[in-house]
Amino acid sequence: MRIALALLIAACVFPRAAHAGRTYYGWLFGTEVMPERGVELQTWIQEENDKYGTRTKETWVSWAALVGVTDQLELALPVELDWAAVEQMDGTTRTSFTFKRFGIEARYRMAPQDPAEAPPLVPLLRLAVKRDVISRDSVRLEADAVASYDAGAVQAVVDLGAVGDIASGSRHVELRPSAGVSMLATSELRVGAEVYSEISLDSVVESWATAGPDVSWSHGRFWISGMFGIGLYHVRIAPRVLWGIAF
Amino acid sequence: MRALAIAAAVALAGPVAAQPGGRVVGTVKFLEADGGPASAADVIVYVTGFNEPPTDNVTVIAQKGRRFVPDLVAITVGEKVAFPNLDPFLHNVFSQSVPRKFDLGSFKRGETKEKQFPEAGVVDVYCNIHPEMAATILILPNRRHVVAAADGKFAIDGVPPGDWTVYAYARRATKPAIASVTVKSGAEAMIDLEIVRGPEPAHLNKYGEKYKDGGQVYH
Repeated sequence: MRIALALLIAACVFPRAAHAGRTYYGWLFGTEVMPERGVELQTWIQEENDKYGTRTKETWVSWAALVGVTDQLELALPVELDWAAVEQMDGTTRTSFTFKRFGIEARYRMAPQDPAEAPPLVPLLRLAVKRDVISRDSVRLEADAVASYDAGAVQAVVDLGAVGDIASGSRHVELRPSAGVSMLATSELRVGAEVYSEISLDSVVESWATAGPDVSWSHGRFWISGMFGIGLYHVRIAPRVLWGIAF
Repeated sequence: MRALAIAAAVALAGPVAAQPGGRVVGTVKFLEADGGPASAADVIVYVTGFNEPPTDNVTVIAQKGRRFVPDLVAITVGEKVAFPNLDPFLHNVFSQSVPRKFDLGSFKRGETKEKQFPEAGVVDVYCNIHPEMAATILILPNRRHVVAAADGKFAIDGVPPGDWTVYAYARRATKPAIASVTVKSGAEAMIDLEIVRGPEPAHLNKYGEKYKDGGQVYH
């Protein structure tokens, strides 16, 4: 019962963070940002199947409008929806589909926006504040320190993320370290691999990790990236797809 | 063709010894496609075959009256170009040219953005908002380039002694004029060139799509 309750809480209160900005990866942030006054609409869809050794399933959707405030700073306004199916102790499954969270996030690229002017190593900082729709006294804080390194057609990225959920009388913190490599296959197509994990620092939810191949395709104003995550720990399959269209 | 001409010149080029330079003078005849005369003030004449370091100069291409002014400039590899917006509305500056792809975003009146050009070649720049705006930047291996006078006369000073190639280039030229020249220290080398103006080629927006009016050809 305690496990089911914990899973229900995890599914309903702590869905994944929204990611903003163009990325070549499924679960990792990239370090690209839009040019000043650029506008983009993005969609993220992810699944986490059979987490924690149970038949808990979750599909999470986020839509966000992004705007380039400067050539190095972009803002995103994400809206998050979450569908979850949580196995109960009596063998039944309880499903829910909810408007989970909305907020604002900023991404600051600590290098020129133009790749030709940027050094090979590009850091990016991301900060987000989100309001929980269901738990009205809950606020989510997200932070990511991302670094990408470009060597010709190959890019490597490390993303050190952290999430904190703060509510009256409760607090949850987890780390989200991840890393990936992406290689240019054609002028518009990249392929690679990545590993992503969520490490809980308390007993509210359990940790899990996934790894797998990713692919990214850009064409004009449109781009799409996806990763098929195979479970390494406490999850069976965790695919994630992101796409964006610029205006 | 345009980019190849400059790229090949850079590949073969090398620094030159400090000797008293010579002068390349001549006339460039600029003709419309129907054979009528065009103002040669739209023509840049340059010498390739040797490298020189860039200056600290920042060349300006203004955005004024929904046009890039001037719409053709020549700079030395490593120099910068500034793009001030002098119009009372937003402009964008972007390029999809291989030597230097960039997107300066949209910026308003009074704002200026700069871009450095570290590789030789021909870079066409456009505005993603106003398709009639087009300009070309020649990124050259040295500083030996001039704008011809309206009557076609030009003079390029300080050219090191040697055998070089001279080009005359205009934005809408069907192809650049090319000639070989031998420069001797303290002497003048005469050369005449002729180029023909063609239509403004259609271009796509920064996403590789036709502009909303269907890809009209802009002059």
